[in-house]
Amino acid sequence: MNRVLAVSRMQLINKWTFLGIPAIILGGAFALCLAIFTIIPTEPKYGGGAPFAPLWYFFALGIQSLTLTFPFSLGMSVTRRAYFLGTYVTFSAVALGMAVIYAIGTQVELATQGWGMGGYFFRVPFLFDGPWWQSLAVSFIITLFFFTVGFWAATIYKRWGVTGTLVVSIGLALLVVGAIFLITWGGFWGDVLGFFVHISVLGLAGILLLLVAAMGAGAFLTIRRAVP
Amino acid sequence: MNEQTVVQVQGLGRKYKDVIALDDVSLEFRQDRIYGLLGRNGAGKTTLMSILTAQGFPSSGSVRVFGEDPYENEGVLRRICFIRESQKYPDDFTPAQAFRAAALFFAHWDQTFAERLAEDFQLPLKRRIKKLSRGQLSAVGIVIGLASRAELTFFDEPYLGLDAVARHLFYDHLVKDFAEHPRTIVLSSHLIDEVANLLEHIVVIDKGRIIMDDEAEEIRGSAVSVAGPADVVAAFIEGYPVLFEERLLNTVSVSIAGRLNPAQRREAAELGLVLGQVSLQQLVVHASLSAQGAENSLNDAAHIQRGADSKEVTR
Repeated sequence: MNRVLAVSRMQLINKWTFLGIPAIILGGAFALCLAIFTIIPTEPKYGGGAPFAPLWYFFALGIQSLTLTFPFSLGMSVTRRAYFLGTYVTFSAVALGMAVIYAIGTQVELATQGWGMGGYFFRVPFLFDGPWWQSLAVSFIITLFFFTVGFWAATIYKRWGVTGTLVVSIGLALLVVGAIFLITWGGFWGDVLGFFVHISVLGLAGILLLLVAAMGAGAFLTIRRAVP
Repeated sequence: MNEQTVVQVQGLGRKYKDVIALDDVSLEFRQDRIYGLLGRNGAGKTTLMSILTAQGFPSSGSVRVFGEDPYENEGVLRRICFIRESQKYPDDFTPAQAFRAAALFFAHWDQTFAERLAEDFQLPLKRRIKKLSRGQLSAVGIVIGLASRAELTFFDEPYLGLDAVARHLFYDHLVKDFAEHPRTIVLSSHLIDEVANLLEHIVVIDKGRIIMDDEAEEIRGSAVSVAGPADVVAAFIEGYPVLFEERLLNTVSVSIAGRLNPAQRREAAELGLVLGQVSLQQLVVHASLSAQGAENSLNDAAHIQRGADSKEVTR
């Protein structure tokens, strides 16, 4: 059997980890929001970031995938490459599942005018304003992004320990400060704010996708030399 | 390298920041045999096995497993099983789920055998692995190692936390299953006497260096113990290097390096001396201590040399 798919199946052996717990978090947030919507008289009502509640769990899963299933996979005589690809197959499948739920939920809310009471849980303004396929793509990329941030950070820790993580964090902070300095010094704040005001949802998703690709590639190269 | 060679290591070295974990290690493992990788804690056993299974990286030298470099080599790795002593499992897995994972990866996995082993080791299959005792955790590794039936299987101190009964269960199953499904097994251990009878070939590693690499029979036959009255024994063993000496009132038991021919054995019997076997453990301990002793005396020599130099200077 193909080792990449075997890794992906291994990640799903415990159904709770990738499926059960996210479903409970999402279902819980949904039920809670609907309950609150019935109390608030004004319309329309939005859930805010509530539909993204499982994303923080996915961030943690990204970390956990590496710290626990990486050493286990090597014990199962899996190559680092097969481990990485298989894990990403699982990440992508789960992200796609989430995306389908968001896309369908958004359309249902549009059709029923917010469950008949103007309450919108899934339909986050701006992000899910577009057609269904756009909601699908955007939520898929956002979910994958959270997995990747956790996974990438964990590879840095795994390979270079606390020192490496600190160096990378400080480096990133320096980059941000440097960027702010350049923007302020050059007087570009107007342009930068304008960029974020005018950017389309797909544009934003595109930037996230580039970050996912960059961090994913970094994680892959790091894992190739990591020890369990 | 002939067809039967499974592992070939040449001039392997592994350096950490200030520690040399492996120093110019060369060895060969052949097909369908049971090897003992013996040595003290921290001698380099786990490091060596990690590199052979491409979980760790060498600093120098070459490693060939099934004739190829094992690093990221799917064709080679899928024929290997190496459960380390401190093997990590996904936190939320139960032993049953760990076995299901193993079934995905090991082509020769035998589920019935795994269940039978789990029963023998009284392993709670539905309890989360993070809640298992140290012994039960070791049992999970043993079950995977045995039931995977990988062509090259490593057991890294597999008995930690196991009681004597469970350890013997492991040895019994290992021998029985090996007879039915021959494969190359490398068993790392420091409980030497317990595993001595299982092993066909022995490699002893000390401070990253191989200090003994020979057939178990050869090693066992390389020494003999002679017991009897002190003066008679002393006369009899004249000329042989002495490994150990034990004194009990006026009788002594001396272990000597060397083989006795039938004539010598008859002579010993006539003198009323009792000949015995020296245990593998004693031989390994002796080899480790003398390797260390040689190093110490070298250090001492260097020390004395330096002392002499400094005297030279003061003069």
